[in-house]
Amino acid sequence: MSLMEEILVFIVAGLISTVVCITAYAVAPLDAFLGSGCIVVITVGGILLAKILPGHLPMVFWVSILAILVATPISPIAGFVTYYVDKVDFLALCTVVLSYAGLTVGKDIGMFKKMSWRIIVVALAVYTGTFICATFVAQVMLHLEGII
Amino acid sequence: MSIIKNWKIHLIALLLAVICEWIGTKKVPLGPGVLLFLPMLYAMVLGTIISLPKLKAFKESETSHATAVLGLMTMILVTKLGVVIGPALIKVLNAGFALCVQELGHFMGTVVIGLPIAIALGLGRESVGATFSIDREPNIAIIAEKYGLSSPEGRGVMAIYICGTVFGAIWVGLIAGFLAALHIFHPYALAMGAGVGSGSMMAAATGAIATVFPEQKAEILMYAGASNLLTTIVGIYFCLFVSLPLTNYFYKKLSPILAPKKKGA
Repeated sequence: MSLMEEILVFIVAGLISTVVCITAYAVAPLDAFLGSGCIVVITVGGILLAKILPGHLPMVFWVSILAILVATPISPIAGFVTYYVDKVDFLALCTVVLSYAGLTVGKDIGMFKKMSWRIIVVALAVYTGTFICATFVAQVMLHLEGII
Repeated sequence: MSIIKNWKIHLIALLLAVICEWIGTKKVPLGPGVLLFLPMLYAMVLGTIISLPKLKAFKESETSHATAVLGLMTMILVTKLGVVIGPALIKVLNAGFALCVQELGHFMGTVVIGLPIAIALGLGRESVGATFSIDREPNIAIIAEKYGLSSPEGRGVMAIYICGTVFGAIWVGLIAGFLAALHIFHPYALAMGAGVGSGSMMAAATGAIATVFPEQKAEILMYAGASNLLTTIVGIYFCLFVSLPLTNYFYKKLSPILAPKKKGA
């Protein structure tokens, strides 16, 4: 996908999230539009950084760094960005992303059906293991550090 | 322009999101906890059904466009979480040590829980590829380089990858909601646990935890986002240099105990 097309994908994502925020979360249309717009601009900015800057660090890294920096109190536009991005509910974005995720699954169902029950049990154990072990360690650490 | 050629995917995604949000969150009590059905989970299931090749709703080129788009889309979640972290950066850094140590739980949890079960079920060398990590794209690359994808280790990693695509988010979302509703763990600890390093699984888990603890939503998003970032960035190196050798070591030690008949097979 060319950069132009990637940017278009994010614009479409922004428009869909605007519609979801207005219809399902009763956000004022202008707030939803500006909030989604901020997210699109920051994301595209992060992806550009990932392409330009050396080190071949993953997109996630640069997108996170840019989003965090833009919203820290030292950023001159922090107030604007945090105010409007706050209007876009995280769960609304999740629903948009998982709609696309669902649409990619159908083609893999054929392969999935051929799998033995054993591998499915192992998959459940792997996902449960990573979540529960990290939660357990976090609980102990946060407690020791006096944060909770 | 592929996006215009594949307009149907985007239109359906929009309709799915709006309809699923309209249905809303449903809570089903189960034993001491609760099963939390969030709109994003319906979106995932309905999307799967619509895209079944049997229904012929989409051409193959359209579903592969959706796959390419999904990789980019998860970045908007990363941006949202980054903007939540920004104003509270100091607070997140204060929990930095706890955040770093809990990553061991993410990286070793798959091995600790998954490997003994995989060996006991007789998976052989596939166990190593299956359980050394959560088996998303970067982890597949590690196995592909070391063993090749047609090796037993390669088959193991690919099998868990497909399972993850099909039901990973749904499963992690449900257990996160269930565990949160039990009130055994603090919401901050659950939030860190939710940063498993896969966009859709992290979304489902974080969404479920934030729904159970709405008054701590900002902190939950913040810790989940920071943890997910660490898991993703550090994960590649940790899996290559620590998890994979350790999984191999434990495989050698555990196989004779858990699957003695398989010896030499």
